[in-house]
Amino acid sequence: MRKALISLFVAAGLLVAFTAGCKDRGNEAGGGTTGENVNLGLFVSTTGAIATFGLDTKNGAEIAVAEINEAGGIKGKKINMVFYDTESKAESAGNAATKLATQDKVLVAMGAVASGLSLAAAPVFQANKIPMVSPSSTNPTVTEQGDYIFRICYLDDFQGGACAVFAYKDLGKRKAAILANRDDAYSTGLANFFKSKFTALGGQIVTEQTYAANTSDFNTQVSNIKGSGADIIFAPVYYTDMSLIAKQVKAQGINVPMLGGDGWESDKLVPEAGDALEGSYFGNHYSQEDKAENVQNFVKKYTDKHGKAPTSLAALGYDVVYFVKQAIEQAGEFDRAKVRDAMAGIKDFKGVTGTFSIDSKRNARKPISMLQIKGARFLPVRQIKPEEVE
Amino acid sequence: MLRTGAVLVAGIIGAVVLNAVLAEFIDDYVVRVINLCGVAIVLAVSLNVINGLCGQFSLGHAGFMAIGAYVCSLFTTTQRYYDAASAQYVSEPSLAARMAEMFGADLAAAGSEQLQSIAAWGFLPGLIAGGVVSALAGLVVGIPALRLRGDYLAIATLGFGEIVRVVITNIPQIGGATGLPGLPPLANTSWIFAVCVVCIVFSVNLQRSTFGRALIAIRENELAAEIMGVRIARMKVMAFIYGAFFAGVAGGLLAHLLQTISPATFNFMKSIEVVVMLVLGGLGSLTGAVVGAIVLTVLPEALRDVEREVNLPGIRMVVYALVLILLMIFRPQGIFGQRELSLKLLRRVIPGGRK
Repeated sequence: MRKALISLFVAAGLLVAFTAGCKDRGNEAGGGTTGENVNLGLFVSTTGAIATFGLDTKNGAEIAVAEINEAGGIKGKKINMVFYDTESKAESAGNAATKLATQDKVLVAMGAVASGLSLAAAPVFQANKIPMVSPSSTNPTVTEQGDYIFRICYLDDFQGGACAVFAYKDLGKRKAAILANRDDAYSTGLANFFKSKFTALGGQIVTEQTYAANTSDFNTQVSNIKGSGADIIFAPVYYTDMSLIAKQVKAQGINVPMLGGDGWESDKLVPEAGDALEGSYFGNHYSQEDKAENVQNFVKKYTDKHGKAPTSLAALGYDVVYFVKQAIEQAGEFDRAKVRDAMAGIKDFKGVTGTFSIDSKRNARKPISMLQIKGARFLPVRQIKPEEVE
Repeated sequence: MLRTGAVLVAGIIGAVVLNAVLAEFIDDYVVRVINLCGVAIVLAVSLNVINGLCGQFSLGHAGFMAIGAYVCSLFTTTQRYYDAASAQYVSEPSLAARMAEMFGADLAAAGSEQLQSIAAWGFLPGLIAGGVVSALAGLVVGIPALRLRGDYLAIATLGFGEIVRVVITNIPQIGGATGLPGLPPLANTSWIFAVCVVCIVFSVNLQRSTFGRALIAIRENELAAEIMGVRIARMKVMAFIYGAFFAGVAGGLLAHLLQTISPATFNFMKSIEVVVMLVLGGLGSLTGAVVGAIVLTVLPEALRDVEREVNLPGIRMVVYALVLILLMIFRPQGIFGQRELSLKLLRRVIPGGRK
């Protein structure tokens, strides 16, 4: 029994050693600014399974912070961006969120990319009454976690519905086949939302094929699609799977366009798929080819600095910082509750990912850009507005 | 017996006091890390019985955690999911809420505080049920799997963990691949420390019992143990069940600490993490398991500030990996080897102490 006691003492001792020197929590109501700086938190995954998304977001956000600080900051205070890695793990996202909330005492927190990680961080910021803005978590449940949780990207239900509208109305397709990754919430979510909208419009889902994560042979699913007589294939999957699927679709001689969501976006999609995706379509947060001045400015700055064009995630990372800036300016002071109220009331925010307003559920009401693959370029076809899908 | 009881009671009172003290004086972030340490300790100590004492290499701990986490969440959390057939979100009340309804509570009229206290009542039954279901899974898997040895067992248990994850992913009623958001924040330091105390006290007693000695005999030489009359298959399965029970309870705790669970949280890297804790602390040493759990939970968090200072994303994980590699080069048996921290050891280490 002595061993048990001693083990406990060791545990307690180590914990005390770790806690020694830690601040106790001080001014809970205040915080957010230190001297000439306003502290904003950023938490995305720069290591682990979804590291590339996090790095793009961080790169985009850093460009925005540099621009704002150069132009004099927010209401005279320079942005001090506190960044923590969330390792693509829920535990780490919760820890990073708690550290930002109680030790760094940020005014507003920005993150995370993956919905699963945003869901782990949201309760922390809600409990501490710190506004949290996710640049790119598309799962509907994220902003339901509390009235301090916002997002500036569109939702999966809108994206799936918009793809259905595009397929039915713009492309005139009536018989769709669905191919989804059943282990992935994003993929199954989009497939479900596409299905309900497409059938509601009067179209027909001729076959629904699914596969398990890490599949590389899609021939069975593709044969089934071939036999179904579909005139369009909706494949809401990530680009890594998509390039393989596209090749196998082409190899089986199916000659119908394919359609997907923002998971397709990558500069590796076309090199890996070859010409198998020529003429296919996907929905995205923005288009690099957009002629608008702010978009081209951003694309140029980003390309100069990082040697490649910004992805949607980079664009959303850039927008989230300006969104927070506008909220603070509208609030008029560095107060979390007032910033939250200002955020909830933001109308017609002009970002590089489109002009949007925040709705009553703290989600962004914004258009989706439908792009067509032509050579190695993604050319904008048209934007679909939320009103068209509802 | 009396002493065990006394330690348990003292530990649980301590847990309540500790929670009050931490909540009052210590930063939330630090409290959170301490809580995660507690969960890690339960995981490592319970896996130590399987991997360390009994010498059976199991990689299925994440699977048991997942079972515990999901079963426990059924008791405390309204399950909200997207129903593909009707194309809308559906809510299923938690088991605690259903029980309350049976006893005449009016949920529709209840305020959020009342709903929270109902959820809190579901927590202890949830934890226990999570542990029990997980232990049953341990029994079902253990009987066939433990006929295997060494690498083969490791692969079989790894497979079990993956099966659990895939099954959960394919049940939309418990959130599928999206997982369950919005779990109530019930796992405070009191709960976690109390479970820690129970787990450590039981494990120490187990280590010294006939059962524990039999496990060690199996580890040292299976054939010799069998000749001496140890019922090998039975002992192995019992060790597995014991480990699975506490892994399930720890899963329930972790779920209510993170407030969201998804199959991805319980992937096979989670099992590896627990094994690394054991190996780092010293396979077969309970003290080692405790220390390994604390070190590997605190280290990545402590390195956050380092990463911020040098501003190199990812450097944290490099340092973390380096620490592990160096430790394994210079101390392959782990920090404690198979030793335990005891007064005897302390006397030996401190010069001039009583011999």
